[in-house]
Amino acid sequence: MNTTLQKGLRTGTIFGLIILFLYMIGFTTIMSALLGDFLDLKGPSVGAGSVPGLVVLIGLIGLWAGAVASQSGDLSEDTWLKALVGGLAAGVISGLILALLAVVLNSLEDVARIRQYLVQISPQTINLFLLGRETGMAVAPLYLALMTASGLLGAALSRLLGRGRLRTAIASRRDAAEKALFSIPFLKKEEGRRILRLSIFAVLLALLFLMPQRLGQYWNFTLGTVGIYVLMGLGLNIVVGLAGLLDLGYVAFFAVGAYTIGLLTAPQPHGIMWDFWAVLPLGIVIASIAGILLGIPVLRLRGDYLAIVTLGFGEIIRVLARSDLLASFAGGPQGIRNIGGPSLFGNPLNSERAFMYFIIISIILVIFITTRLERSSVGRAWIAMREDETVAQAMGINTYRAKLLAFAIGAAFAGLGGVLFASRNQYTGPEDHSLLVSINVLALVIVGGMGSIPGVILGALALKGLPEMLRQLEDYRILAFGALLVVMMILRPEGLWPSTRRKIEIHTVEEELPPEPVHPRSTDQPVTTRLDTASDVTISTDVREA
Amino acid sequence: MKEAAIPRTRAPINAYRIGQAVIGVLFTAFFLWRLYNVLFVQAVYGADTWLRFLISGLIIGAVYAVIAIGYTLVYGILFMINFAHGEVMMLGAFAGYFTFEALNAWVVDPAGELTFLNAYPVLSIILAFLAGILVSTTMGILLERIAYRPLRGAPRLVPLISAIGASIFLQNTAQALFGPGRRTYVNPSILTRNAGVTLVVNNRDVIITYTGIFTFILCILLLIGLYFLVKKSRFGRAMRAVAENKQTAALMGIDVDGVISRTFAISGALAGAAGVMWGIHNGIIYHYVGFIPGLKAFTSAVLGGIGNIPGAMLGGMFLGIVESLGPAALGLNFQLKDVIAFSILVLVLIFRPSGILGEVLSEEKV
Repeated sequence: MNTTLQKGLRTGTIFGLIILFLYMIGFTTIMSALLGDFLDLKGPSVGAGSVPGLVVLIGLIGLWAGAVASQSGDLSEDTWLKALVGGLAAGVISGLILALLAVVLNSLEDVARIRQYLVQISPQTINLFLLGRETGMAVAPLYLALMTASGLLGAALSRLLGRGRLRTAIASRRDAAEKALFSIPFLKKEEGRRILRLSIFAVLLALLFLMPQRLGQYWNFTLGTVGIYVLMGLGLNIVVGLAGLLDLGYVAFFAVGAYTIGLLTAPQPHGIMWDFWAVLPLGIVIASIAGILLGIPVLRLRGDYLAIVTLGFGEIIRVLARSDLLASFAGGPQGIRNIGGPSLFGNPLNSERAFMYFIIISIILVIFITTRLERSSVGRAWIAMREDETVAQAMGINTYRAKLLAFAIGAAFAGLGGVLFASRNQYTGPEDHSLLVSINVLALVIVGGMGSIPGVILGALALKGLPEMLRQLEDYRILAFGALLVVMMILRPEGLWPSTRRKIEIHTVEEELPPEPVHPRSTDQPVTTRLDTASDVTISTDVREA
Repeated sequence: MKEAAIPRTRAPINAYRIGQAVIGVLFTAFFLWRLYNVLFVQAVYGADTWLRFLISGLIIGAVYAVIAIGYTLVYGILFMINFAHGEVMMLGAFAGYFTFEALNAWVVDPAGELTFLNAYPVLSIILAFLAGILVSTTMGILLERIAYRPLRGAPRLVPLISAIGASIFLQNTAQALFGPGRRTYVNPSILTRNAGVTLVVNNRDVIITYTGIFTFILCILLLIGLYFLVKKSRFGRAMRAVAENKQTAALMGIDVDGVISRTFAISGALAGAAGVMWGIHNGIIYHYVGFIPGLKAFTSAVLGGIGNIPGAMLGGMFLGIVESLGPAALGLNFQLKDVIAFSILVLVLIFRPSGILGEVLSEEKV
């Protein structure tokens, strides 16, 4: 009971502070408006926010807090009383924090001064938080009641649905469906399954090719951007996901592709107006050469040095592109305009729809190449290297060459993305190639699942496509990416849609190295096939001494 | 990194060495040619200008050194780049800024002219530093507790990605909280910017600003204090033991988690002090202010040899001076200051990855 209470109090404090934080960064205001619109709530609105929307938002967070607080310790020891005590404690504490905030906001006198420091605290947002009332003191007990009720409700709901019960129910349904599917005589044979798989692919492909026809200009453009991020994600997936090299300057190769087509097809600054089709392969080749040139010095470094050097390199490219030194050569801060587009038999193909087709075809090509590579000896070398470089080397893999190859291929894909992006937008400039792009791509690869192709696509749709639909939340996108990276690493390092191998690898390592370094290795742990790093190092030194 | 004694990997090493030599010769030739050009052909800068560059380099270098210590301590103990360290510094700078602002708004003089900031300048400065250090120390501890501790023992890439995430998160949180605009530090009048001691060199005035002198001296004091903390104190010994081998340290009765947490606290405190100094000396802060100095401080740490505390100090000074003198010496535009700093990082990693003074890392980590 004590631990339940403790957990409830802790959860309540954390959730209360989270709401406080969300208020301070102005998220509650925008989200309340969105919720108000979405649920079509009638009620007063203050400034940009909606009062009932805010109540719903805070209530939902309270439900969540209650649900989290109700689950403590052993699954078998869960009781109604415990769940409710946890939920109650969480609700009361978070309610108290909100009530305190309400009192403080109510008693603020010189709001204009506070606003100089914390830009989100304005009379409107204060009024919104006080639910549109002038008398703020009455709001404090209201918040306490709201949080207590929603905390209790959350605990009751979570108890009712049962922790893990939902997940096991879904899993058992899935297993049953799978069993039923494979009991069909046609699917019992491997042949039949392959036909099914191929036909699913064919249907998906047909849908993919019909899609741009049905979409308007805006959606073709937006999804085209998502598609270019898929391309870059697939490239970075080889570097980070397969080969395990953390590249934070990936945008540099994207920039090389974009500037290649810019400099060679635009009337300014050089007047070399080559054909798109001639420059496309050139851009890819130059990008991969850039990858090799950067890779030669830096790939001998330790993993984390590599991250920082590539980051520095990405910044160098951007600073150089902006600088006066290269202004006459690369357009300087204004960038390059009127970049040429492709044409086929004299017909220009530079509509958003045509580019959407280009992008889809490129993605399919890249996926094909990636899957073939992944299953080749090169791909296996990459994966071996990612899992343990020393062992991979001992197995006779030339890790340096394998890394260079990964870098070159990843750079080539980014170059392709850059060429398509610059050509479609008919513009490229230094701000298209900021560090943010690298971080976006890295985040989508990691959230989707390192080393997993469907994961990359899912990640791009989730991180690049979803924000397009929620334009109002644009300001919080990067902030959420940062938080997402941390949370993903803690809760689900293998990503949303992991490759099977990666999943096994991460969990094996976790089992092998317990988080507490103090404990001696227990004997009842599963025997893993992976070689132990420490013992392997000693082997290699023995060899050298001998 | 150990070079495995497998014949197959030998060939690229030789090619690599040749490449190294070629790049080295090219860079040296380029450097000498530009230097000759600047000094004797164009002769654009007089001795006074060079002195001015040198002084500003020394001051910035001292700040880099203080930040670099934070990287080096954490890297030595966890073998992980604390990517969010620059952001910790930025938050410290904001805390100092708010303290100064609040004290400047507090009128203590009955005539209504003198504010607390100018009535008690020394106390105000101490308060600002305390605020900055407090905020940054708390952030450092929280960061370790939330973003890094759950990941101890995970594959190497995992905590690094978490650190990058934390850095992005803190940067954007600061933007959302304080707004995207740039803010100007209001210094107490004894530390007015641009005022200082004037030297006459080459018949021209060279001003050494009071903020610069203050920053430099404070940095040196902090560095000396830290050196003795690590080398002489009981906690320093525990920290070095944990850096050497966590399991053995735990067997010797050292609270490993506590030591790691305190290491983050110390590096956070140094970052906070550096942030306030940055604000006082440079005057302008915004949410992105910690990022580039953070990268450069990491460069300094690598330059001096990561895990090596005197190395980080030396590396910071060196980087500050090179960055300040470099564009002038090479006859380049001052926009390219950052390019020079990062090129140095790449060059050091190519030619001497273990840094000037050599890495101090335990055997298992290297």
